[in-house]
Amino acid sequence: MKLLITGATGYIGRRLVAAAVKRGYQVVVSGRKRPSDMDIEWVHFDLANPQAVELPDGLDAVLHLAVVTSSSAELEDREVVAGQSLLDATARAGVPVLFVSSQTARSDAPTAYGRNKWKIEQSVLAQSGWVVRPGQVYGGSEAGLFGVLVNVVRRLPILPAFVPAPRVQPVHVDDLVLALLSCLERRPQSGIFQIAEPDPITFTTFLSAIAHGRIRRKRGFVPVPVVLVKAAIAVLGAERSRRIGLDRLLSLFALPSMQTAADLDRLGITPRPLASGMTYSGSARRRWLIEEGRAMLTYILREEPTGELIRRYVRVVESLRTVGALDLPSWALRCPSLLALLEGGASLQDDLREELAWRFNAAVTLAESNPQGARRFLWLGERRQGGLVKALYVCRAIASEVLARVGKLLVIPMIVGLKGKRGERE
Amino acid sequence: MNQDFDVVLVGSGPAGVSAAFPLLEAGLRVLMVDGGKTPPVPAPSGQFLDLRLRQRDQFDWIVGSDFHALRHDGAISPKFRTPTQAYVFEDYARANRIEAESFIAVGSLARGGLSNAWGCGVAKLSADELSDFPFPHQALDASYEAVALRIGVSGAVQDDLSSELGLDQYAQPPVALDPLQSSLLARYEMHRQASVAAGFRMGRARSAVLTQAKDGRQACDLSGSCMWGCSRRSLYSATEDLLLLQRYANFSYFPGFVVDRVLRDSECMVVQGDDGTGKQSWRARRVLLAAGTIASTRLALMATDNISSVGMQSCPTAAFMVWVPRVWGRSRSPAFGLGQLAYTLYVGDGRHKGYGALFDTTGIPMAEFSKFMPLGKRFGVDVLSSLLSSCAVGNLFLPGRLTKATLSLRNDSLHVTGQYDDEVPNLIADAAKQLRSEFRRLGAWVLPRSFTIGRPGSDIHYAASFPMRHRPEPGQTDPWGEVCGVQGLHIVDGASLSNLPAKPHTLTIMANADRIGRRLAADLVAERA
Repeated sequence: MKLLITGATGYIGRRLVAAAVKRGYQVVVSGRKRPSDMDIEWVHFDLANPQAVELPDGLDAVLHLAVVTSSSAELEDREVVAGQSLLDATARAGVPVLFVSSQTARSDAPTAYGRNKWKIEQSVLAQSGWVVRPGQVYGGSEAGLFGVLVNVVRRLPILPAFVPAPRVQPVHVDDLVLALLSCLERRPQSGIFQIAEPDPITFTTFLSAIAHGRIRRKRGFVPVPVVLVKAAIAVLGAERSRRIGLDRLLSLFALPSMQTAADLDRLGITPRPLASGMTYSGSARRRWLIEEGRAMLTYILREEPTGELIRRYVRVVESLRTVGALDLPSWALRCPSLLALLEGGASLQDDLREELAWRFNAAVTLAESNPQGARRFLWLGERRQGGLVKALYVCRAIASEVLARVGKLLVIPMIVGLKGKRGERE
Repeated sequence: MNQDFDVVLVGSGPAGVSAAFPLLEAGLRVLMVDGGKTPPVPAPSGQFLDLRLRQRDQFDWIVGSDFHALRHDGAISPKFRTPTQAYVFEDYARANRIEAESFIAVGSLARGGLSNAWGCGVAKLSADELSDFPFPHQALDASYEAVALRIGVSGAVQDDLSSELGLDQYAQPPVALDPLQSSLLARYEMHRQASVAAGFRMGRARSAVLTQAKDGRQACDLSGSCMWGCSRRSLYSATEDLLLLQRYANFSYFPGFVVDRVLRDSECMVVQGDDGTGKQSWRARRVLLAAGTIASTRLALMATDNISSVGMQSCPTAAFMVWVPRVWGRSRSPAFGLGQLAYTLYVGDGRHKGYGALFDTTGIPMAEFSKFMPLGKRFGVDVLSSLLSSCAVGNLFLPGRLTKATLSLRNDSLHVTGQYDDEVPNLIADAAKQLRSEFRRLGAWVLPRSFTIGRPGSDIHYAASFPMRHRPEPGQTDPWGEVCGVQGLHIVDGASLSNLPAKPHTLTIMANADRIGRRLAADLVAERA
């Protein structure tokens, strides 16, 4: 398939180009300048100075992602004109168009941005193209609106919690890219496709997911009434609030909720969980395994394992086992001594009992084979030697074992045990 | 018809190299082929305890950068989890088309064969144990001597096993015992009359380990890495002999050549195989199979047209842990990692003689023990780290005729099955009972629940699938290892032993190979003249 992609150097565009190339598609990018960091065919196209567009031959589809991000109203209007000239060219060539629009697209949107998107959508639909309206795009590199939000969360220790809380529907950039390519491959009937998590979450939840999952810091929230923000915008005036980006908040406050389940289904997309998508790799599998490895190894070693050892545990599970991290209860991850209550695993599902036993064994093997383990296992180094110390050690171990067995009988039935595998949806 | 060689030897393990020496001495042109695998990870060098305490990348030889030890988590012996020795066992069954069912079938494509990973136990068989062999027991004496002197054995000391193991006149002094085992031996010497009367004898193991330097190999310094490979080359491996063989101008060595088939073609033997790039064949006056008992059996069965299935012996085996309370709390010290003390005992009302050895626990990964602990892993490691320094691991072998294994040829693949005789569980229970009381006498305890029976074949002592007989029938060999019905094809490894006692059998395989080699050398020289 030969594709022309506008906005290829943007936040979504870069991931899209990479994914399309990976699938073996021939990609032509268009923009103001030849992208210096991509080795790819390029044609000139400038949203700000629209002119008749010359399309390359043999295209199978045009993906229009380009947006004007300037804060000048006059330029924003040109976006529609430019879009139209691109659409005219595709109509002449008979090439189908996929337009990446916005959740804010409405004829009466509070921002010109939303209204422009709506206008272009109409033209796309008029020539039987596809419109994709993504929700709150996040994940991957810190670019686009996502990049702005990550930076805000990184810089401010206290964040606003708008009241009433606006609701967003996140979608991971790679899931969106998958949806775009799937649309080109499946070629459904022309229409609008809304791609995002079906169940909206509050904007505050989204920001704290960034804090927790991406920058890994705790952030406080102070309530900020929406009316106050609106009043401030009114006082500042349209032009000034646009310049400092405040008007974007109006879009946020007025976000319509989207029914996405049917569209996700039509394109065969299952959005990944937010906690997974927020990590740098786009998947929390690693981090869960690291947590598991640290807990298991601490349990065996009776001290914090080295980072090298934890990495080894992760690599072992990733390369030898068919399941990723186990859904160990959080109390066991926080306090690895309590893993003794899970060993033997009478309360576990059958298929996981064996897996957990394998991992305990692997943790022993890994913990043993380095200087840290040799000190504990062979009783080497600066440790106090002698029969008495060792006898006390054995007594403690047996007492702890008895305690653990009693604990298993009394405690386990009352608390939630091992639930299953983590990240099964990936 | 022109031959490429006088003799082609299939396999470079202890049997192959032992047969080669007399042939080369006689000036015959000998080709040796083998699987050619060599160690990809070097054996650790230095004191084991130092390495464990200081070496950051010990993981590479303990577990392996590809997690070898964990990949082979289910394997029957720690030997198969050692990354430095993975190459020894790799691919043998596949390359030799061996399919085992209910039996552990092991062999080697390595240069030097299984001797790269052996326990180094050596012994001379007694006249009684050689009574099934179709020649007077003295016929092996010269060969025992030649082999023992060549490979270097140690353990010479006057004790209760001197006559049983019978190598003292050729042996270097024994390796030093660790404090635990020397305390056991001291106690044994105090009570020896009672023990011997009960049928239990203890003494030094005789081992193919140097305590004095020889041929560029260094003496054992108790570095304790035995299980991971000996960087000082104190432990014997047939690769040492291969180095000596390569000094002969009439010796050719072709590694990486896996033999598919051996057949008789008019006046000579043909060895067909694959060197990795394609099929190739060699012609010779004689072919000597030393590919390891199981692979040799397959090649012999393929060469005979009158039989497709033979039996095989293998020693039933067990392992246990002995705790010596009077050395409780001792610190780990450098120690020889293979059998230090050995014992024999009679089981089943004196009908069978068992043999075993005792091992220091330091060099064995603790994960091997913690699997069997009825405790949570953390507490298991707590207990073991305190307890193991006062424990030794013991093993037990019973005579090979107590295992009934069958090797059958099906479409050029060898199907291996086997199980212990019905009486083996009782014999092992009897042995366990006796060992418990014998070790009690020595102030030591066989730890409860530690006595475990190995699975059939896990001893890796396989023999007597083509036993030497005076008048061989199909599926047997003559006193010179020549396969009945295939003139010119000899078996010189374990497959042609007439019987497999419980004692270490490698030296006997080597001596027998040497004996056959001497005879063939004389025959071939005479033929040529």
